[in-house]
Amino acid sequence: MSLRTPLGRVRGLGSAKDGVGHWWLQRVTAVALVPLAVILVGMMLHLARADHATVLAYMGHTYVATFTALGLIAAFWHLKLGIQVVVEDYVHTERLKVAALLANTFGCIVFAGLGVVAVLTLAAGV
Amino acid sequence: MAEFSLPANSRVGKGKFHPAPAGAKRVKRFNIYRWNPDDGQNPRLDTFEVDLDDCSPMVLDALIKIKNEVDASVTFRRSCREGVCGSCAMNVDGTNTLACIKAIDDVGGDVNVYPLPHLPVVKDLVPDLSTFYAQYAAIEPWLQSESAAPAKERLQSREERAKLDGLYECVMCACCSTACPSYWWNGDRYLGPAILLQAYRWLVDSRDEATGERLDALEDPFRLYRCHTIMNCAKTCPKHLNPAKAIAEIKKMMVERR
Amino acid sequence: MPNSYPIIEHAYDVVVVGAGGAGLRATMGLAEAGLSTACLTKVFPTRSHTVAAQGGISAALGNMGEDDWRWHMYDTVKGSDWLGDQDAIEYMVREGPRAVIELEHYGVPFSRTADGKIFQRAFGGMTTNFGKGIAQRTCAAADRTGHAMLHTLYQQSLKYRAQFFIEYFALDLIMDDDGACRGVMAWNLDDGTMHRFRANMTILATGGYGRAYFSCTSAHTCTGDGNGMVLRAGLPLQDMEFVQFHPTGIYGAGCLITEGSRGEGGFLVNSQGERFMERYAPSAKDLASRDVVSRAMTIEIREGRGVGPQKDHIFLHLDHLDPALLAERLPGISETAQIFAGVDVTKQPIPVLPTVHYNMGGIPTNFHGEALTIKGSSPEAAVPGLMAVGEAACVSVHGANRLGSNSLLDLVVFGRAAALRCAAVLKPGASHKSLPKSAGEEAIARLDKLRHASGERSTARIRLDMQRVMQNHAAVFRTQETLDEGVRKIGEVRDMMPHVKVADRSLIWNSDLVETLELDNLVRQAVVTMHAAANRKESRGAHAREDFPDRDDVHWMKHTAIFLGADGKPRIDYRPVHANPLTNDVQAIPPQPRVY
Repeated sequence: MSLRTPLGRVRGLGSAKDGVGHWWLQRVTAVALVPLAVILVGMMLHLARADHATVLAYMGHTYVATFTALGLIAAFWHLKLGIQVVVEDYVHTERLKVAALLANTFGCIVFAGLGVVAVLTLAAGV
Repeated sequence: MAEFSLPANSRVGKGKFHPAPAGAKRVKRFNIYRWNPDDGQNPRLDTFEVDLDDCSPMVLDALIKIKNEVDASVTFRRSCREGVCGSCAMNVDGTNTLACIKAIDDVGGDVNVYPLPHLPVVKDLVPDLSTFYAQYAAIEPWLQSESAAPAKERLQSREERAKLDGLYECVMCACCSTACPSYWWNGDRYLGPAILLQAYRWLVDSRDEATGERLDALEDPFRLYRCHTIMNCAKTCPKHLNPAKAIAEIKKMMVERR
Repeated sequence: MPNSYPIIEHAYDVVVVGAGGAGLRATMGLAEAGLSTACLTKVFPTRSHTVAAQGGISAALGNMGEDDWRWHMYDTVKGSDWLGDQDAIEYMVREGPRAVIELEHYGVPFSRTADGKIFQRAFGGMTTNFGKGIAQRTCAAADRTGHAMLHTLYQQSLKYRAQFFIEYFALDLIMDDDGACRGVMAWNLDDGTMHRFRANMTILATGGYGRAYFSCTSAHTCTGDGNGMVLRAGLPLQDMEFVQFHPTGIYGAGCLITEGSRGEGGFLVNSQGERFMERYAPSAKDLASRDVVSRAMTIEIREGRGVGPQKDHIFLHLDHLDPALLAERLPGISETAQIFAGVDVTKQPIPVLPTVHYNMGGIPTNFHGEALTIKGSSPEAAVPGLMAVGEAACVSVHGANRLGSNSLLDLVVFGRAAALRCAAVLKPGASHKSLPKSAGEEAIARLDKLRHASGERSTARIRLDMQRVMQNHAAVFRTQETLDEGVRKIGEVRDMMPHVKVADRSLIWNSDLVETLELDNLVRQAVVTMHAAANRKESRGAHAREDFPDRDDVHWMKHTAIFLGADGKPRIDYRPVHANPLTNDVQAIPPQPRVY
């Protein structure tokens, strides 16, 4: 039970003076993902029946590698921002929340990192 | 976690049945949420049959008729009975609205009447709105101006005044805020649509000089940005206002000043 | 028994009861002046009935053409049918422009003229040049002026950190043996606790008692609780026979359609399609004052020229007005007409009927807001520690008939005046005289008795009986016969009060008990209203006697002051009308025949 006044509770810790960056980036990444998604889907359709060698050669192409890498970064960034909101919305146990937010951040970075390195590896033709 | 199911002591049981008077032709059933803080019982749903031929057209009229003629202990707020005071906000037929301007005939089947969702209940249909009111106070909803006031009125063009239309009419009934899932889960930190509409009312008042400070106070992942454009607020508003649009405008202002 | 109710003690410089326009204006003024102030209200402040005021607030700003406070004063005195006190009226109309400018500075979203000033519209009885032209004097925020004002005043109260006790029901005044008011007892609905508020000044701002009638524009909460408390304290109410019928309440529902609709060009027609007001008020027509229009409508209906299948109402036409104008200036009533009459105002007329709207009578006060009583040879003895403002008070600026848009002005002018008076006569933090321990116990005992009332008649049933008697016997037109019968019948209703039955025995949000306490207040006011009406043998303003059709200034240019004895029997006395203004800046307006 809290005997704090409603106004005290509502004012809480004050304004974080933050949030517009998150909101804006979520929209920027969403906008970026519209053409990127079209391009990536187009590439996948193009490679649908291709053999391994063709794929390797195709992925070595500078533009292909660049857009694939950018697509991965934008998607994971967008995902990270989105999941963060979902966690903040629904997870109210403080420890669980912090853990989930960390897992979200690390997970997204790790998967984005793996993806980008894989693309670069293909592009370098190693 | 956010609570998605009712705790055991809040589960609603079956209540009393009050049949219509003999000879009633146009009978409508009202299922009304009842909870008495004094008796230690779980909430229950009482059913009252009302003869619509002997009742005025609005849901509030039926509630008053039930209170007057069947069970005087049925408890709800009401005052103006014409949709301007905002007292009789409740959940009717699954939608938050003002009972005084909700026609009974607009409800197909039984009329289910619950208090506004996700607020502590004081008794029956009376919710505790103290957090809601504190949130209103927290946005400092008064004209803030440092320039010396002129001897006459502050001038305001018709175009500037027109920006307040659709905002100042809010009756503070809390229908929108309590219809917002984001407010359900984070009502302690998210200001909610009603309060943000009021915040915007002051942000666009050409006479106010504290726009920047107001935006500063709102720029917060929870206070403002818990709005996920679900749009329940605009859908449910009994005064046909659009809090979601006001919130979108605030977000635009936030970006604009970057 | 009362010992079983623990009492929570409070001490303030001033306690305000009621948070409508007048209560809030007083509260914020007191907070601004540094007096510790508690404002008790049975509803959250923005739900008070001021919120429903539509048309506007009068003030001779002259934004829409030449205007002068003297013209406003003449109109108000004439509107009051020379029962208004001219000193108080002068004070109010002179304060008008300042009061409205102050509201604008507080942030009221007034509608605007093309050059950015406050928009003003025409209203009933408001003229220029002492009755020669039609004035545009009523400052408006579309047709939601009361809403805009009430919300703004609450916001200002928040700004000055005024302290509110919300959903507290005031039970009774605490009066000491010297006849001074020492505070008020109240019941907190939220947790069921009892509270004793001690104060060096108690301001009643509890509004009117429209709910004494069956059909009224008033909210369910308009039960005149302050008036009831004053009667129980052995103090008088003044001019209670004057009850205003608003010409345009929606037929059936009773919801208000603003007089501003006629100010913007709307007009009334009877079943023959005739604009009948031209016959009754050749120059002002539909903008004659409310008592005149309500009587004209009643005569039309009575003579068989009403509209509808029962020929029992009148049509208000707005359909000839530009839809854009309706949308800009009358959006609220357009919506109300749609909801409650199923009418699209751009295409169809609104069915309307004269409906109880406002109580000119109330707690007698001077223009500082100090409550008055008749004591010994003094008809103006101030009651120490007690003030009243707003519709609860009878200053008297409205006399026998209030002009539309003078009410909102009354609220802010006298709410402010009361705060100024308190600041002048009270010292912040001054000590309180000691009170006997039992102070206020009677109020708790009364609550306890009603809480456990187990008679055979429900609160709702007695209330309905009272409302029917008032509707039938204290109507637009009155005769000795109907009033005497009314006196007898309202006496029967009062005698049923000991037989009331309360079903809910709880203390937390027991709205059954609230309604019963309100009914107790209403019945007392109904009784004094009926007696005062039966007593006044003339026609003046809203009190229209068919058996005494003329105003009788020789015998009746005086205020009724009516007391209610502990035995429930009223006692009538009189106070003189102040026929002289406050200053030499204006001459007294002598009684004249009242034609519009």
